[in-house]
Amino acid sequence: MDLLDGGAKEETYLSKLKERNGEIGAFLSLDAARGKALSSGDGVLRGLSFGVKDNIAVEGFPLTCASRILQDLVSPYTATAVRRLLEQGAVVVGKTNLDEFGMGSSCDMSALGRTNNPWDLSRVAGGSSGGSAAAVSAGMVPFALGSDTGGSVRQPAAFCGVYGLKPTYGVVSRFGLVAYASSLEVIGAVAMDLDLLETVFEVMRGEDERDHSSLDPEEDECEVRRIAVLTGELGLEAPVARAYERAQEALKDLGFQLVEVGLPELEYAVPAYYTIATAEASANLARYTGIRYGHRPMWSENPQELMRKARSEGFGPEVKLRILLGTFVLRSGFQDRYYHKAQRVRTLIRRSLEQVFSSADVLLMPVFPTLPFPHGEGGLSSFQQKMADRFTTTANLAGVPALAVPVGREEGLPVGVQVMAPPFGEQRLFQVARAYRRVYTPEHPVAYPPLWS
Amino acid sequence: MYQAYIGLEIHIQLLTKSKVFCSCRAQFGDEPNTNVCPVCMGYPGVLPALNEEAVRMGYVVARALNCTLSRRTVFARKNYFYPDMPKNYQISQYDDPIGRDGYIDIEIGGRIKRVRVHEVHLEEDAGKMIHVGDASLCDDNRAGTPLLEIVTEPDMESGEEAEALIQEFRRMVRYLGVCDGNMEEGSLRCDANVSVNEAGKGLGTKVEIKNLNSSRFVRLALDHEIERQKALLEEGRQVVQETRLWNENRDVTESMRTKESAHDYRYFPEPDLPPFVPDEAFFAQVEASLVELPLARKQRFLSDYGISVQQADFLIEEKARADFFEEAVRRGVAPSTAAAWLAGDVAKLLNRYRVELDASPLTMDRFVLLMELLQKGEIHGRIAKQVLSAVFEEDKDPSRIIEEKGWRQLSEEELVKVVDEVITAHPKAVEQVKGGEEKPVGFLMGQVMARTAGRAHPEKTREVLLSRIRGGEG
Repeated sequence: MDLLDGGAKEETYLSKLKERNGEIGAFLSLDAARGKALSSGDGVLRGLSFGVKDNIAVEGFPLTCASRILQDLVSPYTATAVRRLLEQGAVVVGKTNLDEFGMGSSCDMSALGRTNNPWDLSRVAGGSSGGSAAAVSAGMVPFALGSDTGGSVRQPAAFCGVYGLKPTYGVVSRFGLVAYASSLEVIGAVAMDLDLLETVFEVMRGEDERDHSSLDPEEDECEVRRIAVLTGELGLEAPVARAYERAQEALKDLGFQLVEVGLPELEYAVPAYYTIATAEASANLARYTGIRYGHRPMWSENPQELMRKARSEGFGPEVKLRILLGTFVLRSGFQDRYYHKAQRVRTLIRRSLEQVFSSADVLLMPVFPTLPFPHGEGGLSSFQQKMADRFTTTANLAGVPALAVPVGREEGLPVGVQVMAPPFGEQRLFQVARAYRRVYTPEHPVAYPPLWS
Repeated sequence: MYQAYIGLEIHIQLLTKSKVFCSCRAQFGDEPNTNVCPVCMGYPGVLPALNEEAVRMGYVVARALNCTLSRRTVFARKNYFYPDMPKNYQISQYDDPIGRDGYIDIEIGGRIKRVRVHEVHLEEDAGKMIHVGDASLCDDNRAGTPLLEIVTEPDMESGEEAEALIQEFRRMVRYLGVCDGNMEEGSLRCDANVSVNEAGKGLGTKVEIKNLNSSRFVRLALDHEIERQKALLEEGRQVVQETRLWNENRDVTESMRTKESAHDYRYFPEPDLPPFVPDEAFFAQVEASLVELPLARKQRFLSDYGISVQQADFLIEEKARADFFEEAVRRGVAPSTAAAWLAGDVAKLLNRYRVELDASPLTMDRFVLLMELLQKGEIHGRIAKQVLSAVFEEDKDPSRIIEEKGWRQLSEEELVKVVDEVITAHPKAVEQVKGGEEKPVGFLMGQVMARTAGRAHPEKTREVLLSRIRGGEG
């Protein structure tokens, strides 16, 4: 199906897309007509539809970040990564759901809609790029963009049984990605087709004059032979532990050499991550005042009150919590105790990963210690969800690339593992995933065959 | 005996074409919100892209202030809330500013005083609130224009010294071409820190004065504040650490906020901008941008050209003016003549027509020609003044003006002829002169001038007149 051709097939696709979205809630907005108008060129992605996480700017589309405070904001510009995809002919069909401002691991923190896991509608799709992962898993689009600050692409990818790539920090321009924690996050993508995912990454990557932290690294030509795996008690739920072990066995059978490593620093990854992420968030989210754009209260006495009311009404509880936490850790007199210490932990984690990569070409890690959990009460508390981020935040703190790879199903639900590589080692990740594809090919849930062909 | 310690924080708007983090025009006075884009409006998802021209200008100023230049300059976020600050944080510098530990020399009472410069750093400006009736409007044209902040050590002791520093610094940045130095339009702004203590006891409690938008207010506010603090100390009371505003209508400083309500800026490194690491080519460019600074130039003018202090002060005030003077001298005009004319009649005319020298009808060629005619004695001083005035009025070359108006000076031959006519016409006066009287000489000269419409050279006329009268005797 080529969305740029028009015709009856396209009409069918769009109507089914809408219908399926009613069950899954992957998209917050759908507007294929606008998407087609933006698309140009006869490039490698010609006519392919895709979803964009609603914290990434696409001109004329909403840019809500799943927050009430930006509920009515329409983006006046397009993110560099998206622009590059559009120039290769891809078509944005809509904006996908997320945890508000990318803060969360379930997608249930969205203020604007609920996203269900296509494998079991009573369960979460994962977060924060849950909408994108669910959209791909449910066969609605061949690929979708997400953003990964502490695991936000990989965790929902693992929960929904799709590939999820978090590139090296800076390799994909962040221009147009609504900032949550600038030094940690990067635009990534999810797809069911590994080759398509790699193409999407190749199209998006590269230096951007509008993002001075972006760069264009040299080609990495390593042929992966040795894979580091974690030893010791990892605190995984039994089905996840089984899947991690099975993946190791399979890779050994495929001819890779496994190297056991310990990463005691993982214990500090979560506190360091939340200290740095919330500190940056407190500054990044300070711009939402209701003055220039976004939700504005009905009435206010003065500018101070206008800001206070806009935030009080516009931000959800998780966002408020993180802003307050970040403001606290940056307070004068407290920086040494929290922020600077977290930065030292970050350096420590980066060094110990360097150590790992001196003895192995890639590192195999779990993504999340549990299976996709149920919505609401039966699921994980906000605190439990944060503690469970220890495997994913590592890559963000170190800035290294990581790929979530679906490795099978447990109790009917998908499980993934992630492969990490040294900075700029994305192609190593694709090598390992391709090898693994010989053992297991990801699939859509039976109820949701792809809407395109 | 009390001593005052004054430190200044000076902000200058750099004269870059575009803003410091986006490509919007950096221009004062345009329609509100016409020079804006998602980046300087702080829209979700945008990122700053550093303008290297602004950094270069920053390094040039730091170099001119004799600072140690940073080999790796780092940006930081300064967090605070203000409705006209789009992101509610300001990208500034904290740990590794562009330059540190420099100094600036100022001339005060004929002596040179050295004031140490603590640091020079680059940051973005905020927008501007406009309050109309009960509405508050925001103009973001200024948001994101590059600001350079210069922080001095508390080395000044009086309002006069602070004023002199502002003026010297203003001349300097105009010489360097990095700022127009216009305090009324806010392109040069100044906050002052002042503390007073008994002499020899070190710094006292610091008070910050904001809102000083002219160098005169800097002097007035500081002198007022020093007296206020002295009076408090003399009464045995304490100075409160606070921020005060200068009320220019009442000529007093007024409390704005105390230390308790001071800002906590929560600085941390700006994750969106990598450190700027200049290479050798960049430093070479910085060196190439340096010029001889006003104070040094004044000293050189005094020693090289033998002109008066007033003339030197006038000439060095603007770089273009000093350049004009030196070019004229290079083209052969005597320094004393050029200085006297530029600081005298030319200055008066520039003032009358409210025009800068480099934009006036008096081009270098015209000025040099006029001075040549004068020096060669082809015209005399009074005609030269008339011609200069006509150049401003009619925007024509001096030679053309002289020709059109028939202001060519009389030749010796013509002059002798007129003098002889006057002698013949006024025998009585001639007799009186012969008798040794001085007064009739003036009368006879007046007669010559009247007959020649002032085209006769006065000195020469006198000379010829006397020699014809006395020559007639012999």
